[in-house]
Amino acid sequence: MKALTICVPSKKAALEFPMNHAQHIARRLTFGLAWGLAIAGHAYADAPYDANEAWWQAGVPRVMPGRVEYADATGRVGVLNADGPFDTRGHAFFTPLGSNGRACVTCHQPANGMGLSVDSIRRRWEETGGKDPLFAAIDGSNCPTLPQAPRASHSLLLERGLIRVALPWPPRAPDGAVVPPEFTITVVSDPTGCNTDPLYGLSAKNPAISVYRRPRPVANMKYLLELPHGVPPSDFLFYNDKSLLPRNPETGAYVSLQLMSDGRDLTLKLQARDAGAGHLQVKAPLTERQLGQIESFERQVYAAQSVDAVAGELTAPGAPPGLGPEALHSGAPARLGNNPINRIFGSFAMWQQPAADARVGADLKAGADSQPGTDQSVQRARRESIARGADVFYLRRFLISDVGKYNDKGLGNPFKRSCGSGCHNTLLMGMDLAPGYMDLGLNNLPWANARPDLPLFKVVCESGAVPQSYLGRVMFTHDPGRALITGKCADVGASMTQQSRSLAARAPYFMNGSAANLRELVDFYDRRFNIGYTETEKQDLVNFLSVL
Amino acid sequence: MSRRARQPPSARLPLAGGLLAAAWLLQSGLPAVAAEPVAGTPLSFVACPVARDTGPDTDLCFFTEYDGHAYALVNPPDWGVPQLKHRVLVEGRVGSGPPVCGATPLDGRASVLTELDASCNVVMPFDGINKGVAGGVFNSGTPEQRAAAQDLARRAALDPRLSIQPAILDPPAPPPPAPPYEERTLVITYPFDSDRASGPDMVKLKALAVYARAAAARRVRVTGHRGDSRLSDGSDLAEKPPLAEARAKKVAGILQALGIDAAVTQVQWELEAPVGRGDEDWRNRRVEVTVSP
Repeated sequence: MKALTICVPSKKAALEFPMNHAQHIARRLTFGLAWGLAIAGHAYADAPYDANEAWWQAGVPRVMPGRVEYADATGRVGVLNADGPFDTRGHAFFTPLGSNGRACVTCHQPANGMGLSVDSIRRRWEETGGKDPLFAAIDGSNCPTLPQAPRASHSLLLERGLIRVALPWPPRAPDGAVVPPEFTITVVSDPTGCNTDPLYGLSAKNPAISVYRRPRPVANMKYLLELPHGVPPSDFLFYNDKSLLPRNPETGAYVSLQLMSDGRDLTLKLQARDAGAGHLQVKAPLTERQLGQIESFERQVYAAQSVDAVAGELTAPGAPPGLGPEALHSGAPARLGNNPINRIFGSFAMWQQPAADARVGADLKAGADSQPGTDQSVQRARRESIARGADVFYLRRFLISDVGKYNDKGLGNPFKRSCGSGCHNTLLMGMDLAPGYMDLGLNNLPWANARPDLPLFKVVCESGAVPQSYLGRVMFTHDPGRALITGKCADVGASMTQQSRSLAARAPYFMNGSAANLRELVDFYDRRFNIGYTETEKQDLVNFLSVL
Repeated sequence: MSRRARQPPSARLPLAGGLLAAAWLLQSGLPAVAAEPVAGTPLSFVACPVARDTGPDTDLCFFTEYDGHAYALVNPPDWGVPQLKHRVLVEGRVGSGPPVCGATPLDGRASVLTELDASCNVVMPFDGINKGVAGGVFNSGTPEQRAAAQDLARRAALDPRLSIQPAILDPPAPPPPAPPYEERTLVITYPFDSDRASGPDMVKLKALAVYARAAAARRVRVTGHRGDSRLSDGSDLAEKPPLAEARAKKVAGILQALGIDAAVTQVQWELEAPVGRGDEDWRNRRVEVTVSP
């Protein structure tokens, strides 16, 4: 009988852990050898941080390994740097480029699946006394005019992982032209003070609206950037209204719009340029070389949960094939997965109860049984729960109703689907393949969770404007979302769905951090759509989501 | 199918109660009113849609009630499924086929009206009778796509590693257009007060653009129309005046994005909407695209 080892998450990332399969040992040796050679070649004797340090500090030279794992809430997240290890010294993604000491990596941490968890944020506050560039006044505090030393001035970042995003009002097109809005917006409640601030608010010389959003992970980008397959004509038209998709200003190619929650930046390069000006506070625009470095890195980095502390190694032979960053590296992007074969994230049959195991090849089943983990019965129970969660995600239908820019895009209201066959249908990635924004109810009342910490706006649309389909022309919202870009009444509160990988490494969830953990995420959907999940279904879903 | 007359709940049912009563009568297999709708009769009216659950693994369907009868609301794919919280403009002719969604079929269109109407909010639970048909990868798409999905399903059942290979492949590219090139016209119809065309119509538009390029078309004429709707009660619904222009310009913009030279594209729109006749008025709300080689 094989010795079993419990993979216990720890504060520090550990890069190696016991594995039984020769194939994996060989793989680890390969990565380790490559990494070791890279370190030797670059003489990092003066590096102030151990290579195992989870936090990647801007400007501190390290080697970005070919593959690395970090402890997270339920096991380990894996990051695959597919082009191989490299020295980050001087690399634009890892180097402070502006005045506040931040780099891209500050908010896109490998240990958080290239996103940013609130656990990491809090830890960083404690480690640095709030002096880390992450907490820069410009957007790492609730408002730049607040005194920056108190923790309370950074409460949205520390409690919900939210970065301030200041958007011009009225909206501006990419060429700077004013986009005439179809609605007026007034501040009902301003707990951060920024929307009524004379320097930063709606009455400022350059009027702006401050909203607070989670950084989205910059990994698995091919799935977000490639135009959708198999859903014509969504390869060149919006699903919603059948208008043309915007184009990459450099190449003229249509863009997918999956990149940002509000679609304001169309490409990785434009996003990096915008983030440089805003989040990094660069004095001069990023150079083409810097932009190219950032884009090249982002296009080849993959992140996904790699180990579950109870279920075991997620990338070992016999494990469900859609798990781990390697599956994402080799997977086909921008495909529909809402069918009985793909089931969005592939089969979990090998982890189902014995009755279902008959469908699995004997060799693979044997492989699944031989994985390391905890006590076998506990491990088996966890795997079965995860497999049931995959079923709930893919099969459990409910009535999706009153979702602005979704039910009204031709689908009907209500529309009966499951999580996977509805909005989270992209193979291996779980966002909505045909690009479209939707108002799930995260920001607009009455659906939004109670959020007295966020600003509340009143939106009144012109009488001739097409109304938000289920809220009409007068709305209360914490974040108008896409409407801050388009100025359209019907877009108020709408945002783009996002990928569903590395979730265990990057809580909290939703664009405004409303769900502190995966259980709260599931509870939101259960309440919003009156699904009626059982307690077992909820826990199974949570376990399933945690291994993605 | 003959039906026996039975005392109706009312001659003309109040809406909410009428819907439920009509649904009950339909479930009971009995007629809702004494006067049967006659196949081919034009109907045009505005009413609340009702959603009906068709089973645990199938979609909802929609029907509505008019003059004591329930009528199914079925549109072409992606033309726009009815929505609760909104009334629908129904324009069609009474169909002659078997019941659809537990209601009399209508040949025509149902347009979702823009304005919010919270009173339209009835979902009928699954009654065990009106069962839906599940769609999916094995019975949609091209024959090549269906065959590929079936093959992958067989192999993935034995080797789950294959379950992350795409099951839905891109449809094969259509053969390139070949001479002789002749004049071709595509008619795109729209829901009331909308410039949103259906996905299938946009796929046809893309094919027409390919044809126009292959034919080196000397002219591509795009003509936008709007149309009023005469309701069966004699009243009229008028579309917003700019819609004819908006529809034409939107289609022309897409054609140019698909490689049609603006110099050969003639974009025009009708300033006046034809008066509705109360019979298939939905056909007036259209854009015509004519390619002249």
